[in-house]
Amino acid sequence: MNTTPEIAKKKILVVDDETNIRLLYKEELEDEGYDVILAQNAEEALAKLEKDAPDLVTVDIKMPGMNGIDFLNKVKEKRKDLPVILCSAYGSFKQDFRVWASDAYVVKSADLQELKTTIKEILNF
Amino acid sequence: MSQTTEIGLEILSEVARISTSTLDLDEILARTIQIVKSKLRIDACALYLIDHEDGETRLKLKGSSGLPEDGAARVYLPLGKGVTGWVAQHKEPLALNEALQDPRFVYFPEIEEERFQSMLSVPLLFQDECIGVINVHTFEKRFFNPMEITLLQTLSSQIAGCIRNALEYRKSQSLLRERTLLYEISQAVQAATKLEHRLWLLLTGITLGEGGGFNRAILFQLDERQSRLSGAMGLGPDSPEDAGRIWSELKTHAGEEFHWVVSQADWDQYKHSAFHRLVTGLEFPFRPQDNLLAESLLHNRQEIVRDAAAHPLVPEALRSALEVNEFAVFPLVAHEVPLGVILVDNRYNRHPINESNLKLFARLASQVTWVMENNRLFKKLLESNRELLSTKELLVQSEKLAALGELSAEVAHEIKNPLVSIGGFARRLRDKLEGLSRETPSEEDLQAAQNYATIILNEVERLETLLRNILTFTREDTLDLKPRALPELIEEVLGFFETEIRQQGVILEKDFSRNPGPVWMDAEKIKQVLINVVFNALESMPEGGRLKLSTGVLDGDQGPLAQIRVEDNGGGIPPEVFQNIFNPFFTTKEGGTGLGLAISQRIMQGHQGDIRVENNVNQGVTVTLYFPLQNADNSTKT
Repeated sequence: MNTTPEIAKKKILVVDDETNIRLLYKEELEDEGYDVILAQNAEEALAKLEKDAPDLVTVDIKMPGMNGIDFLNKVKEKRKDLPVILCSAYGSFKQDFRVWASDAYVVKSADLQELKTTIKEILNF
Repeated sequence: MSQTTEIGLEILSEVARISTSTLDLDEILARTIQIVKSKLRIDACALYLIDHEDGETRLKLKGSSGLPEDGAARVYLPLGKGVTGWVAQHKEPLALNEALQDPRFVYFPEIEEERFQSMLSVPLLFQDECIGVINVHTFEKRFFNPMEITLLQTLSSQIAGCIRNALEYRKSQSLLRERTLLYEISQAVQAATKLEHRLWLLLTGITLGEGGGFNRAILFQLDERQSRLSGAMGLGPDSPEDAGRIWSELKTHAGEEFHWVVSQADWDQYKHSAFHRLVTGLEFPFRPQDNLLAESLLHNRQEIVRDAAAHPLVPEALRSALEVNEFAVFPLVAHEVPLGVILVDNRYNRHPINESNLKLFARLASQVTWVMENNRLFKKLLESNRELLSTKELLVQSEKLAALGELSAEVAHEIKNPLVSIGGFARRLRDKLEGLSRETPSEEDLQAAQNYATIILNEVERLETLLRNILTFTREDTLDLKPRALPELIEEVLGFFETEIRQQGVILEKDFSRNPGPVWMDAEKIKQVLINVVFNALESMPEGGRLKLSTGVLDGDQGPLAQIRVEDNGGGIPPEVFQNIFNPFFTTKEGGTGLGLAISQRIMQGHQGDIRVENNVNQGVTVTLYFPLQNADNSTKT
């Protein structure tokens, strides 16, 4: 079930205000063979971006303080090529033009398969 | 002293006595005639007064001596007619030793004037206005000497003032009685609740005696579609015997006729009278030029009929039902809406109908108009209200649905996260257990499995709380109101937080010195609000602080308000967060629903009260709950 490829592990930064969601994503993505860093809000995420240099960021849209979309724009300003996946319980934002800057938009689900596949596609591209 | 002067003085003192002892007209006239008889040698005396009935000015014989009484009662003459009329017109005395020969003389057989040869006629002048005439007659031919004329003039000039006062007094007494009757009727009508009762009271007032009362009164009502005038109520005696009986009974209660009549039991017995039943059988089309009733109502014009048989617009059915030749019709119109007519007649006493007795009738008739119009409008209002209420219900329902629609996007979001956790960890748990069935579980594995299970349980609990809060938010706000003392309620709530307060090292202050007394509230809901508020306060002071709870009273715009204040010094709320605190689903707390303050606000508003939050950044927060202080019988509504 858990096969760890012998290549450099990719680092994923997971940004979500819910502890259990962070925990779930960490465990699931670590099982997929990634290194996972967590941040509970946009500010913390921006700091960790500098410090830990992740290869991909997944971010929730609705968070206290700066929301996911503003965070997305900030990231893209600094590092245009850093993939950012918007991950939200809301489905309605998919049509919102503001999310077009993101590399992908995944609607949160109990089944993380879509997220995992999207990450794989983006990182292996 | 000359004899003239002496008699003159006697007359003056007599008049003075009269003027200071009575205001009764008949008494004054009788005593005046007495004086004339005693001081002058004459055989008959007649006193006329000017009368303005029906717009005609006439001289009416009001008092006499030496003349046939019943004949005298019927004598009257216009100004200018006869000797009397001449004197009144010219305001000069006339002494005629051969009265019958004078060209101005007019013969009145009623008073058998042929018996008297001479007459002296003197005007009664009050401030230069002639108010009457005094005549004296002698059987034998007499040359009235200047002394006699002077004496009669002296008397007349002095007594004129008394007579004038008496006339004024009589007028004002009559007016007073009329006003009192109107007032009594008004009071009774206001106290009555049923339309039928009020109409009965007014028609009764119309038919009572005392200057304005008619024998019978009929109310014709116009139907909704404005096509027919139907007899609705008829009040009056059924027969001459019945009329006689009623009048003699009324006489025994003179001065308070209305009061006596309405204090009789069972006002609605009128329905059984023959007259009322006759009236309810009458119906006429509301067509112009068809009948007098329609005409009167259509043109909003009062009508007096003197000869019903000859009148072209009096239907035969009406005439034969009424069996009178003279009657009056008054239209009832409110705000240009025709409502009906009232018909009055004097079938039994045959009193003539004239302008003066129609005045009181007109007043009472307009009261009927307003009573009917009020009732009509009130009914319409009730109906409108009913419609409005049901429309309001519909609106509230659809508002709720709309809100629910908005809520569901938020709710979906709020539910999604826990579901993601539950689903995700459940899958991990299943996978872990599958793996464990093949190997021996390690300490770590067991711990991991337990963690997953715990997380699932926590998220489920979170979902349950969310659901409960949402249901509270959207549920019908029916409040179970009872009076509660505030200090006791607050103590109950503080009891829940005993542990936290102690553990967090929070200093508790209570001030119930300004206690507004028991407040009407749904205690369970208000406790919910207080718990929410105290919880927030304690949460802002995890390492200790000060929590103060107090009660008070405030003067609001719409009356006194009771208040509960919760103050903390937990550092306050950041401004950008503060503006959103009442928004549903806005929360800064992990796992928070954001509904707490929104629900609290709903609950306070449901109590017609309010919740206000004062934020002092970097210091603390004060939350105040306001309740209107109302009387026990004035409970709040949803």
